[in-house]
Amino acid sequence: MTKSQNVLTEVESKEFLKRAGIPVVATKLARSKREALSISKEMGFPVVLKICSHDVVHKTDSGGVRLGLANAAQVGRAYSEIVSSVRQAYPEARIQGVSVQPMAPSAVEVIVGMSKDPQFGPVLMFGLGGILVEVLKDVSFRIVPVSERDARDMIREIKGYPILKGYRGQKPASIPALEKLIVKVSQFVEKNPQIEELDLNPVFAYPDKAVAIDARIILE
Amino acid sequence: MAERSLSQRREAEQEFDRTHRTSRGSTLFEEKLDELEPIFYPKSIAVVGASAGSIKAGSLWVHTLVSAGFPGPVYPVGSRGGRIRELEIFPNLRLIPGEVDYVIVSIPRQSVLELLDDCAVKNVKAVQFFTAGFSEMDARQGYMLEEQMLEKARQGGVRIIGPNCIGVYCPERRIPFLMGRLGESGSVGFVSQSGGVAGKLATTGIARRINYSKGISFGNGIDLDASDFLQYLAADPKTDVIGAYLEGTRDGVRLFNTIKEVARVKPLVVWKGGRTEAGAQAAMSHTGSLASSGAIWSAMLRQAGAIEVHSLEELTDTLLIFQQVRHWQGANAAIIGGLADGGGGISVSAGDACTENGLNVPSLSSETRRELRKLLGEVGSILRNPVDVSQSQFRGLPTLFQAIDLVTRDAAIDVVLIQEDIDILLPIYSQKGLDEINQFFMELGNRQNKPIIVVLPPGSAEPERLQLEQKLLAASIPVFCSMERAAKAVFNANMYLCRHRNKASHTKSFELPLQVRSDS
Repeated sequence: MTKSQNVLTEVESKEFLKRAGIPVVATKLARSKREALSISKEMGFPVVLKICSHDVVHKTDSGGVRLGLANAAQVGRAYSEIVSSVRQAYPEARIQGVSVQPMAPSAVEVIVGMSKDPQFGPVLMFGLGGILVEVLKDVSFRIVPVSERDARDMIREIKGYPILKGYRGQKPASIPALEKLIVKVSQFVEKNPQIEELDLNPVFAYPDKAVAIDARIILE
Repeated sequence: MAERSLSQRREAEQEFDRTHRTSRGSTLFEEKLDELEPIFYPKSIAVVGASAGSIKAGSLWVHTLVSAGFPGPVYPVGSRGGRIRELEIFPNLRLIPGEVDYVIVSIPRQSVLELLDDCAVKNVKAVQFFTAGFSEMDARQGYMLEEQMLEKARQGGVRIIGPNCIGVYCPERRIPFLMGRLGESGSVGFVSQSGGVAGKLATTGIARRINYSKGISFGNGIDLDASDFLQYLAADPKTDVIGAYLEGTRDGVRLFNTIKEVARVKPLVVWKGGRTEAGAQAAMSHTGSLASSGAIWSAMLRQAGAIEVHSLEELTDTLLIFQQVRHWQGANAAIIGGLADGGGGISVSAGDACTENGLNVPSLSSETRRELRKLLGEVGSILRNPVDVSQSQFRGLPTLFQAIDLVTRDAAIDVVLIQEDIDILLPIYSQKGLDEINQFFMELGNRQNKPIIVVLPPGSAEPERLQLEQKLLAASIPVFCSMERAAKAVFNANMYLCRHRNKASHTKSFELPLQVRSDS
């Protein structure tokens, strides 16, 4: 549990990013079980439900995430379970509701993020997503503003680059789409100096596009 | 080190663009030449903190300047008066009869503010504070004192170098570092945050015939800092390649922009000290927790187009190769070992050293191999690459020279690394043969455009080896004591040239010591 109002929720973060032209998976806030059901039907199954609260930073750890919900009954049950398990983990958390988004087909997972260096200011990071980023720390950095050339270099710099190129019959990720996304994030960060930290984690890297599946923005 | 907001940062960048990028056509950072002229070419120097017959730093400074033959007046200043090296010690800076350009200060920190008043009155251009004990020691009080110094200096029109530094090294103006050797004047410039590293870089460089144009240690850098001196060296017509030892910066954005601009016009080799300090503050994102200071510096240097090195050895190795080599084609390396004997294992491991350090070790063409086979025979030779030419010992030196010539000519090869072990050569060829062999290397280096690099591993004939090293270095051949270090230096130089190759053809101000081949 963190103190701050400074952490935007996933829904707020994605709204921000979407307006800046950064591709994110469509995500809507449901304030009730009934809303969750109608949004799910509108989006089409399967869907993903996640807790939406300024006070919950680690959504997965507190049982606040449910993937691959295939029908209305599953969505209804997941809604109740998410709310009750988060209440247990963070009794004081103010819960706004649950976010609903379509379950994106799987792809290579990468992370794109920003933090502020005390000497050089905003810095972008790129790496393979998921556990790999935490354990192997296979990431690259560039100081903002990040040019197209910088973005290209930072993608090619990581050891896991061959995975993006399509490893053992896996479909290759679109490198130009990733480059474009990185440059857009750099521009976004430049225009919004009040952003202290940012994680797009994961970004799904498809053969034809790159889409942020989860996003977190932390303000100053 | 207060962080600046993005809008401030943007403004700083635009300001930077206005003042520098738009002024292309003239020399980049040309204004720095005049601004820092009194620091590198002072007409006169006063040393404050000198006394007769003591070994205080101030006195040592007077000895250093006089012994080196500084061509202008040296004015010792010390409260007790007297004489040192036949020079009158003035009790106060204001009492010096002539003009004073540059002041070296070695007095307790309590007296520095008063001294700055004296400097202003005396119309001094720049003051270097050897005096330590400021923000590096006592964060709050030291910082406050530094602020006061800066204010006084600004009011009095005086520039400050340091505090906590050993200042300037300029062989051309006969100014050594404190107690340092003067060395020959050359084309390599450097900046260092640390005085110790600056001194060591000068001495190890001089020992390897790295000839410096200028060196500067700027310590806490409260007024002039790394960016100022890098800009000066970029503009300095005497400097072709720049080395730097940096630990931190008070203005990262300016440093980043400076490095970017400087690296465009001259090779810039940077060693960042203090990489392993514990990462930044508690972060709330993955990105924040992974963004250690070392990782950010590495990224910054790469993004700015500088070469990052990780030790004093790698720094000097890389500066040496930039100084010595005039033509550069790429990193396809031929490795020649076993000039007389013992070539097998050494050649194989030399190949590993090159490959592991990022060089390409391509096979020689079938034609070259056929010629080599004719020359050396199949048995006991390795003719692919690395090349073991030890069989030439049974056929005489002309055969050895022909073999090396053949390898050098091969179209697949950009650079030739020769492993020369004099512990093996001396017993077989004696000193006379050894001289002949090295004479051949020097001629070979002169008569074609591919760099010839010699590796002389330490062994049991050190005096002879060191003598030979000096001879080869004097003939512009880069010499290293291990294949690993040679390979790393070649890799570093090649990285720089690959990155900046495209600009070389159309940027007029881009005059490298190395000529980049334009057809690749």
